[in-house]
Amino acid sequence: MEERTLNEKESLALITQMISSSKKNMEIGQGNYMLIWGYFTTTLSIILFALVNLTHNFIWSWGWMLMFVMWPIMSYRQRQKPPRVVTYTDKVISQVWQVMGWMFIVTFLTIGIIEFSFARYIDFILMLPLSLIYCGIGVSITGIIIQERWMTYTPLIAFIIAIYMLTMLMIGEKATTLWYLYFGLSFVFMMIIPGHIVNHKAKKQCLKN
Amino acid sequence: MFKELDPLLHSQLRLAVMSILLSVEEADFVYLKEKTQATAGNLSVQIDKLSEAGYIEVEKSFVGKKPRTTCRITPTGRQAFENYVNALKGYIG
Repeated sequence: MEERTLNEKESLALITQMISSSKKNMEIGQGNYMLIWGYFTTTLSIILFALVNLTHNFIWSWGWMLMFVMWPIMSYRQRQKPPRVVTYTDKVISQVWQVMGWMFIVTFLTIGIIEFSFARYIDFILMLPLSLIYCGIGVSITGIIIQERWMTYTPLIAFIIAIYMLTMLMIGEKATTLWYLYFGLSFVFMMIIPGHIVNHKAKKQCLKN
Repeated sequence: MFKELDPLLHSQLRLAVMSILLSVEEADFVYLKEKTQATAGNLSVQIDKLSEAGYIEVEKSFVGKKPRTTCRITPTGRQAFENYVNALKGYIG
């Protein structure tokens, strides 16, 4: 493209062409963040399940805190490789996940403070169903924004598992370490499968362009 | 009576840059270069002109050791673009 004056029709054509080309912002590897989170969480759930069952020591359940460590690592990684273009959609999705992130922190602190104040012990088992609900909402909203049907509806599996856990707690049943595996399985449906689907679609579209 | 077209926008490369920035939140120099297929030197000059007019904001930073230039449209730029399109409609319609 050169520096030249256009006539009126050329101007309008150029505006239309540029706007439509920047709207097609599918990039190869767009689902990678979901895949990283999905594989990390699923692997963590299996490792913690194995450790708690093999050692019969619940101290390993504190390993779930690694989920909080993962967050700054991912943010650092993103800062090291910023996207070449940020669309309004990207901005909205990023803000949705920021809100979800704060909900995790607030829930974690609130549960900790309340349990310690009333019962003098801390058990974060409630974080499992609540995390599934928060993540599920985040993934569903992301799916709606990017118009990806799988991503919108697969979190329903996570919601069902979360409601099962909450109901069990409500009727006085004890949580079991199997819940760790249910949690991991939810992430397979909620993040790993949609992540691969998004990557596949992005690759297909980029090859077409 | 036709409205005068903003001379700053009525040029191919600057109009292309403004159109792209209008439809995204921000874009870096490499992305703009790829979309407009302009040379780096020419694009850089046109970005400076748009920035001097207050139509776009330019942020220079480093990612590791590599320099990175990010551009985003300003409210003034958005208004100028709107005025430009309205003026164009007068010519065509």
